[in-house]
Amino acid sequence: MTDTERNTLLPAGLSDILPEDAAFEAETVDRLISCFSMHGYQRVKPPLLEFEESLLSGVGVAVEPQTFRLMDPVSQRMMGMRADITPQISRIAQSRLVDAPRPLRLSYAGDVLRVRGSQLRPERQLTQVGAELIGSAAVEADAEIIVMAIRAIQSTGIEKLTVDLTMPRLVQLVLSRYGLSENNNQKLRQALDRKDAKAVSGLAGKAGHELRILLSATGVAHDGLKILKLAKWADDRAKEIERISCVVDLLTKNVPEIQLTIDPVEHRGFEYHTGIGFTIFSQDPAVEFAGGGRYRVKGVETEDGERATGVTLYIDSIMTALKRPEPNKRVYIPIGSPFSCIARLHDEGWITVSALQPVDDVDMAAQNQKCYYVYDGNELRHVKGLD
Amino acid sequence: MMKGNKLVLAIPKGRIFREATPLLKAVGIEPEAEFDDPESRKLSFTTNKYGLNIIRVRSFDVATFVALGGAQLGFVGSDVLMEFDYQEIYAPLDLEIGKCRLIVAQTKETLEIDSPSRSSSMTVATKYPEVTKRYFAERGVQAECIKLNGAMELAPALNLSRRIVDLVDTGKTLAVNGLKEIEQIADVSSRLIVNRAALKTRPKLIGGWIKSFTEVVNGQKVK
Repeated sequence: MTDTERNTLLPAGLSDILPEDAAFEAETVDRLISCFSMHGYQRVKPPLLEFEESLLSGVGVAVEPQTFRLMDPVSQRMMGMRADITPQISRIAQSRLVDAPRPLRLSYAGDVLRVRGSQLRPERQLTQVGAELIGSAAVEADAEIIVMAIRAIQSTGIEKLTVDLTMPRLVQLVLSRYGLSENNNQKLRQALDRKDAKAVSGLAGKAGHELRILLSATGVAHDGLKILKLAKWADDRAKEIERISCVVDLLTKNVPEIQLTIDPVEHRGFEYHTGIGFTIFSQDPAVEFAGGGRYRVKGVETEDGERATGVTLYIDSIMTALKRPEPNKRVYIPIGSPFSCIARLHDEGWITVSALQPVDDVDMAAQNQKCYYVYDGNELRHVKGLD
Repeated sequence: MMKGNKLVLAIPKGRIFREATPLLKAVGIEPEAEFDDPESRKLSFTTNKYGLNIIRVRSFDVATFVALGGAQLGFVGSDVLMEFDYQEIYAPLDLEIGKCRLIVAQTKETLEIDSPSRSSSMTVATKYPEVTKRYFAERGVQAECIKLNGAMELAPALNLSRRIVDLVDTGKTLAVNGLKEIEQIADVSSRLIVNRAALKTRPKLIGGWIKSFTEVVNGQKVK
């Protein structure tokens, strides 16, 4: 290992965020979370580490393989570093806030750590901003979360978004109707994940017909719903389809500018979801900005437990689509300037950078400090040599 | 970063390429003349369809380009999809070209001495270490893979490994090199693959291409 390597190499998937970018990210996070508070979502702040048993139970089961563990030297118990914040919020809702009136609206912002990055996001430390709406089964709750997430992303200046709606339960219902189970049918699950219609037909037996209809409905929401509604479904599946249709109607009414697609077989990324799930994509570049959906606070294993829905915004991908504004509010304060002027400039919204010793060329020194203006004793003037 | 309405289709060089060109023609895609010139150094080609470009890359790289969104559509063998389970790829259509088989082979001489069902570990030369490990693990055998990028058939004769896992079409290369197929892992054929985010954000355009290719492939079957 060379000296440079020893001092500067970071573990895979971890990175330093430097000046300007770090400030811009913090501003963006503030803007997103303040959009959530405007909608009545109250911020909570769970800890980075928890005991394994609580962190990885209920909703947390799904993120277990992604969780870093360490031993608590004090209690001698295993702790897990959070890989997702939603399970922590659902723990809070069931414990400390169990008596708080419902529906309960909570929001959060914080970093999570994952054992492995994904192909698209090699980062192992990710910033999440999210909101959870706990204690309502209404379709209006699904729509509220999705519309609010869209509004939040739009507040950063990103316009073109697509929402993909999924129904992770639908495939389970079809399979169990025909006596198949997802868990011991990995090949079928993989064929569905890949949307390989031919392989699905070959593997699904009697369920093939219904699964093929679900596959063919993937695409633009209104076209897909037409296909789904043409087919005859038993009660449980009809209910799910009716539900997604209601959400599509609500979204069409409230965010008509957003392109809507549906995907009745999508499963990956919805491991703890039990009802309508969704992914928000930006159109150009085509990347995922947010995801979420319905779940039970006690996890997928039980049918009881409060109904909840929520969204997580992926700050790292949102940041890649945003252009950082030029830092043009910086003013260079030469040595000897009165301290009162600094306070006045701060009140007016300027950022001040004070000289610590006299310099020969004030303009050059200002440029070095990325200042566009110099305070010359009375007022601000443009730095010479800059346009 | 993808700009505007640009669409990129990735096609592998070699085996699949020859069978892919008639398919392109059938859906109405006509690449520029240089596309058919094997000597050309060009990697990216324009087509008669506005905004649609074709890139010619290695078979394994087709999957990588499509998974990472550099290309939105691609043709790739199911062998590659078995090796890399990319979450960002959908494979909605079997193009029914590039058909071959993924098999385990070994030399005729060693065939009698040991059977794969009685070993607990073995060395295997292959281009598909993931598939190989998985396949042998299911049979309770630990496969130590030697990754080669071609000419796998040499490995047993030169004592690199006892067995190989490779694609075969007619089996001629195996026979010439004194190898015998002992088990088949999978039937292989080429798939149309699409990038997940591209399908979600441009459902009409990408969905339209999937439909066109499906019609052509189904039509050919009827004939």
